Amino acid sequence: MTGPHEQRVDGLAVRGLAVGHGERAVLRDIAFDAPKGTVTALVGPSGAGKSTLLRCLNRLLLPQAGRVLLDGADTAELEPCRLRRRVGLVGQIPVMLPGSVRDNLAYGLDPAPGGDALTTALGAAGLDAAFLDRPAAELSGGERARVALARALTRTPELLLLDEPTAALDAAAAHHIGATLTALAHDGLGIVVATHDLPFAAGVADRVVALRDGGAVVGEPQELLA
Amino acid sequence: MSQPLTQVLASAAFALAAAWLAYRQRLGLSRSLLTAALRAALQLAVVGALIALVFKVPVLAIAFVAIMVATASLTAGSRMRALPGSRKIAIGAIALPALSAVGLLLLVGAFSATPRATIPTAGILIGGAMLATTLTGRRLVDDLTGATDEIEARLALGDRARDALAPMTRRAIAGAMVPLVDQTRSAGLVTLPGTFVGLVLGGASPETAARVQLTVLLTLLLVQLLSALLTAELVTRAATLPGERVLRL
Repeated sequence: MTGPHEQRVDGLAVRGLAVGHGERAVLRDIAFDAPKGTVTALVGPSGAGKSTLLRCLNRLLLPQAGRVLLDGADTAELEPCRLRRRVGLVGQIPVMLPGSVRDNLAYGLDPAPGGDALTTALGAAGLDAAFLDRPAAELSGGERARVALARALTRTPELLLLDEPTAALDAAAAHHIGATLTALAHDGLGIVVATHDLPFAAGVADRVVALRDGGAVVGEPQELLA
Repeated sequence: MSQPLTQVLASAAFALAAAWLAYRQRLGLSRSLLTAALRAALQLAVVGALIALVFKVPVLAIAFVAIMVATASLTAGSRMRALPGSRKIAIGAIALPALSAVGLLLLVGAFSATPRATIPTAGILIGGAMLATTLTGRRLVDDLTGATDEIEARLALGDRARDALAPMTRRAIAGAMVPLVDQTRSAGLVTLPGTFVGLVLGGASPETAARVQLTVLLTLLLVQLLSALLTAELVTRAATLPGERVLRL
């Protein structure tokens, strides 16, 4: 539930979030909105807590204080598995599960999605249908990153969290992922992307959350990434 | 020279030769070889004396089996120390299958309910249960330490914690059964298993030795599988955190 004077955000709203290991707070008093249909970039030096913050948004990690709201509802009160399908996460290391690309895309989905749904997800991630029957273990790093993205998309999420999606990619591939994210946001998906790649962030972000010394500064890309 | 003395001297000579060879090859092993040999000598001397006592006072057999379970649980528990409650996991996974099997074998009269029959049988089954528990637990602790990316990828795709761990528990259980399956398959061909050798040396007929050995080996198949399954289940419970999350070690 949102407060009486607070507007309900269609998407994710982070309020007063604090995360720590034991006594030490890694992040404190973090607040920002990540509405559907926009790209929010989480920037900051390595170790600033970007991955930690992302993992709080789908409750792989529980915050010490504060709330994360999804469409105005406290995510602490949602069923965790259902939440994680609505708020997908593509980790920094694209883990390929055993089997083909098709097996990866359909993983855990019952009933199994049709071929069209898989091809659409694969296409959105920039791979053609010929990849469906390739063994996932044989893919290159860049291809794995795309399959991981497509695999998150087959769950038809409302928001997508990405952790350093360009880390393993060359400039051209990074540009392509950027264009993909922009297109997905245009279609209504909410995207939160953690990156240390400032030019990439400037290219894709509608808003920027800069993590510094455990706190967050929220602003427009042109003011924070200049 | 008497045969007992010759046995002691011959075995000591072999241990010393191994230590000397390790020293010459600069393997840094000679010290641990010697201390292991000394420990074995001491432990077996004490155990020999204790068992002699148990044969005279049969009720002590219960205490003896309890000590075997406790030692096995401490050993297996220490192999997965990183996990909260590892000792309790080990006790459950070892004692339940091993002691149930001993009880069942005695109940149906496969062995006579004497310390002479019960203690070695219990020892072998507890040892097998310890091996299965250690191998399963160790593998799972390694996965909880090193495969966190895979586990979190599965959780992030909407798996329950139990489902995210299932592929790893299946691998761990299958891996833990490999030594026993190999041992059972090659019994009598590659090695003569311990029970068989012991019985023959003790004067039993090869036929009796083979029959008892088979009973033990086939019982172990179920005991070790149950130990591995129980370990996997208890580790899964210990590693599952509220909110469908998995403990990171």
